[in-house]
Amino acid sequence: MERNDALGFIETYGLVSVLEAADAMCKAADVELVGYENVASGLISVVVRGDVGAVQAAVEAGIKAAGKVGPVYSSNVIARPHADVQKIVAKYVIDW
Amino acid sequence: MEYFGEEALGLVETRGMVPAIQAADVMCKTADVVLVSYENVGSGLVTVMVKGDVAAVRSAVEKGAAAAAAIGEMTAAHVMPRPVSRVGKIVSKHDIDAG
Repeated sequence: MERNDALGFIETYGLVSVLEAADAMCKAADVELVGYENVASGLISVVVRGDVGAVQAAVEAGIKAAGKVGPVYSSNVIARPHADVQKIVAKYVIDW
Repeated sequence: MEYFGEEALGLVETRGMVPAIQAADVMCKTADVVLVSYENVGSGLVTVMVKGDVAAVRSAVEKGAAAAAAIGEMTAAHVMPRPVSRVGKIVSKHDIDAG
């Protein structure tokens, strides 16, 4: 995927709803799962990247699915992230 | 990005990672500032730090804090116009470019 891909985030309380969000996002649209980050107190976020329309659709579907399992704390779509933001997002990356 | 206290320092702290990233993106886009570091101190508190000249940092923090508050919980926002260089040492501990 391109470096200037759009980014989509969903942050939930707990791992269960975040996994559901990740699954729903990847199934609903053509997005790539970058990874997740746990900032303690049960706040866990996942990030996906891809085409802006796909990311938008993925986040919408992810919120709906995760909301059925547990509370969604925040979500966001960054259409064209600033280059410096990639440095933070790099912390999410998971090794397959 | 290394920081030695030579420029103004802008801080935005949020509960959760997503509002923090939104703040970082908005800050870097709305003013001439650079992302220095980010730090998670536990309990879900995430701080992003930018540097630049004082007016740019002030404007960046204002916009970044508002953007973060719009999608989540913003716990603190602050501008340090001319911090002592020892503060720079703390900030550089969490240098975003280091490993």
